Amino acid sequence: MLVQAGFRDVAVREKFDTFRGTSKERIARKYGVTGINVFARKA
Amino acid sequence: MAIACPVDLDIRKLRDEIRSIYARVASDPSGEFHFHRGPDYAAEFLRYDRAALAQLPVESTASFAGVANPHRIAPIEEGSVVVDIGCGAGMDLLLAAKSAGPRGRAIGIDMTEAMAEKARASARAAGLDNVEVRLGDAMSLPLEDASADVVISNGVLNLTSDKAVAFGEVFRVLKPGGRFLYADIVVANELSESIRKDVDLWTG
Repeated sequence: MLVQAGFRDVAVREKFDTFRGTSKERIARKYGVTGINVFARKA
Repeated sequence: MAIACPVDLDIRKLRDEIRSIYARVASDPSGEFHFHRGPDYAAEFLRYDRAALAQLPVESTASFAGVANPHRIAPIEEGSVVVDIGCGAGMDLLLAAKSAGPRGRAIGIDMTEAMAEKARASARAAGLDNVEVRLGDAMSLPLEDASADVVISNGVLNLTSDKAVAFGEVFRVLKPGGRFLYADIVVANELSESIRKDVDLWTG
């Protein structure tokens, strides 16, 4: 999606277990929901 | 992977629910929510620097409800114009303002009046005069083309009804060579249509 928008050098830099310990943890695990850090640059 | 809403999702209800939830986070961050909030969460789960957070007004950190950490992606250089889309009570915005320094500017955008007011108050309490907060929408940013060196966003664009439009707006406001330090949630498995139509699950 970011590449389609025109960005370059798109890269996932880090992931986080954002919903651990919340009431949505089970559904988050079922669908593989994680927090991520992404870098992108406008050429 | 679906990047747009189901055609019969009530977009107005979604936006109202988002405003309502985050107004509540602004007014009562210790209330009951389906997601973590606050500086301890930010440090323990998202690797924010505790010492840096301790220097910020409590009003900005207590209501923090981000999902990742844009400040770990790349440094924000002194003198930068930084835009924070969905700035909330201002924790990321104030950190960005400190990095940008007095020669730079940090502009926060939020669609929730309560959060925008809280961010402005936090900036005043922090003594930061390079901060501005504008009421606005991620899909139609109140910013000129090519006006930002850096755009950050934390747990916000996943709430938009059309990610392609939202990403297009980020691209529009960045200067050539500008960087997008993007923090959000992703799903590994395709969501069912019924899940994607459930407004409660959109807002956590």
